[in-house]
Amino acid sequence: MSTEEVRLFIGPQHPGVTGNMSIEVLLKGDTITWAKTHIGYLHRAFEKLMERRIFIKSFPLVCRICVPESDTNEENLARGLEELADIEIPERAKWIRTLVLELSRLQMFIMWYGGIAGSMGLSTPVQWGIGDRDYILDLFEELTGGRVYHIYILPGGVRKDLPEGFEERVLKTMDLIERRLPEYDELIMDNAVEQKRLKGLAPIPKEWVEEMGITGPVARACGFPYDVRKNSPYEAYDKLDFDVITEDGCDVWSMLLVRRREIDLSIKLIREIVSKMPKGEFLTRLPNVLYWEIPKGETYVKSEATRGEFGYYIFTDGSGKPRRVHVKGPSFIHGITLLERLLVGQNIADVAPILVALQICPPEMER
Amino acid sequence: MNIIERLKERFEVLIAEKKRKDLLIIETTKKGLIPMLFYLKEYEGYRTLTLISCVDWIEDKKFQMSYILWNFRMKANIIVKFMLDRENPDFETVYKLWPQAEAYEREIHEMFGVNFEGNPTQNEELILEDWDNIPPMRRDFDTLKYSMEKFGEREPKSRINIRKEISEQYDEWRRK
Amino acid sequence: MGKDKFLNEKPEKLTYSGVFKKIDNWARARSLWVVAYGTGCGAIELRPTFTSRFDAERFGMRMVGTPRQADVIVVSGYLTVKTLKRVIRVYEQMQSPKYVVALGACPINGGMYYDSYNAINRLDLYLPVDIWVTGCMPRPEAILAGFKRLQELIDDGKADGWKKYIEALDWYRGNQRKIIKNWRMPNYNW
Repeated sequence: MSTEEVRLFIGPQHPGVTGNMSIEVLLKGDTITWAKTHIGYLHRAFEKLMERRIFIKSFPLVCRICVPESDTNEENLARGLEELADIEIPERAKWIRTLVLELSRLQMFIMWYGGIAGSMGLSTPVQWGIGDRDYILDLFEELTGGRVYHIYILPGGVRKDLPEGFEERVLKTMDLIERRLPEYDELIMDNAVEQKRLKGLAPIPKEWVEEMGITGPVARACGFPYDVRKNSPYEAYDKLDFDVITEDGCDVWSMLLVRRREIDLSIKLIREIVSKMPKGEFLTRLPNVLYWEIPKGETYVKSEATRGEFGYYIFTDGSGKPRRVHVKGPSFIHGITLLERLLVGQNIADVAPILVALQICPPEMER
Repeated sequence: MNIIERLKERFEVLIAEKKRKDLLIIETTKKGLIPMLFYLKEYEGYRTLTLISCVDWIEDKKFQMSYILWNFRMKANIIVKFMLDRENPDFETVYKLWPQAEAYEREIHEMFGVNFEGNPTQNEELILEDWDNIPPMRRDFDTLKYSMEKFGEREPKSRINIRKEISEQYDEWRRK
Repeated sequence: MGKDKFLNEKPEKLTYSGVFKKIDNWARARSLWVVAYGTGCGAIELRPTFTSRFDAERFGMRMVGTPRQADVIVVSGYLTVKTLKRVIRVYEQMQSPKYVVALGACPINGGMYYDSYNAINRLDLYLPVDIWVTGCMPRPEAILAGFKRLQELIDDGKADGWKKYIEALDWYRGNQRKIIKNWRMPNYNW
């Protein structure tokens, strides 16, 4: 009976999965022969609820779609509505939005950098990562009043101007984080166990990237320079000077390298944004948002989240409420289509690092 | 010759709208959709399927199905859409062209009740468990009523009541 | 072979009292192990709470992977019907005494998801809740304050939600079965 296959459920109550989701696998010995993702544990029906609410009331909802990185959602929805209602926003608002987005990306990457070590049982970087992320959350708290959910970006600009001296504190925090990063590298990159386990783990065939619609750091780890910030620039990204980061290994180690370099890039971009921040208005006058009606139309807006391309497909029908808002989270493809194929043939012990490397965020799959 | 003209030459194009520099919206018919997607994928370089979406236009008794494609070299998106009859929403799968269409169609089947012929997994539950009503994303499904019936009403506490309570407490405190 | 005792009889009531009970409660309050199940969005603030900055381990709390070793389950925010089923299973696998902490406004009366077809409105219809922590989402300090209050309640012997669950099991089961249509769970008949 030793060749019999064992059916195993990983999650939803499991410390190794990246949130409230579960994976069903068939095991032959230690090797996975079949995998299936089960989602739906976090389905709150945002898209249905948004149909019942006026536009401005949708903003507290959308920031809850991906919990650790909430600003991408707000920015996407605001930009989409501005495009449909034909609103121009001031230059300073664009730059503040870019700053907030980049800070939000940075805190997510730092948490992720600790998390990839934690998924293999190296728990010191986890503590560091979440601790250092808190410095950025403190900045957010000063700026918006909330640690995790900000509801800061609204149609027409941003809710408040930057507080006095905020730029210096941002730069100080960047210095602090930059000083801490070599310690992480010593523990994670120079670690023989990490290198042995991650190099060559779960290679993604290159033709899958275009075929499946893989985006973000996972695509960039396969050599595709796919970055929404560069390909279809939004907000102030077209005025910033940066190159798309790519690696050529296609494995988990390359994804780690891409994200490590993304941290450096984010710090560099934040410094650049702060130095180029223009003066002026931060919010345009909108019509009364309680009776705000947007003419019939549809548009697709997207931005670069830490996990990949985050898209909002917005439909309006001339009334005060959206007809439908379809949220395209990058994890939907990564977590279902890619993961189910990628896990086949892998060792059961490598499920956690693969899940973290694809950075699967369950709430954005099911909304 | 730009892409709109090339498409018009080969297929039935009802509406072609250039929304943005990198976003094109094309409306076609139910019959012409899959050949057009195939053409866009194989000959125009729109090799990636980003999203399949569905909208309920209940006034016109139609579902709008939208397919968003992405061209890596041109750095452009295209939205191909068509109207599907709401009464008998039957369509074919595009899962042979793109593997991720399987999961998207499974979600739309669950949320709108659109039937995709040829999709191997569309009858499996993706998000909901033991659902007992009409597909929830349809416009005629009343989510508030369903929630009230199933999970009980929110405790009624109007703002006036709260204010009354606070003023009573305040009076009590003053008497002391 | 007789029938399994665990499945068919209610757990025996603790008969000892007085100073032993006090020592018991004192010890329990100072080593609360929390089952690592992020049921909702509040789980993102549990991580800072349990790591170096806010460091809940000072109070004897830590995360633990399996429900059998845990004392506390944190319902972090809204619960969908699908998750509620899993939470009930996790809760019933935990060893008594066990406590439920609910974070955020959503488990109290539905919060912003009051009209959602998939999120429950009131958690205490389905599970006995010992501590509510308000806020969306509660800050780590608020979570710590909530746990501190839970420790005080345990010290005084007042955190007895698990006893209520045993006594009023039929009522809780009735509520649970009302929303979980297809009951495919192991049935504890005590």
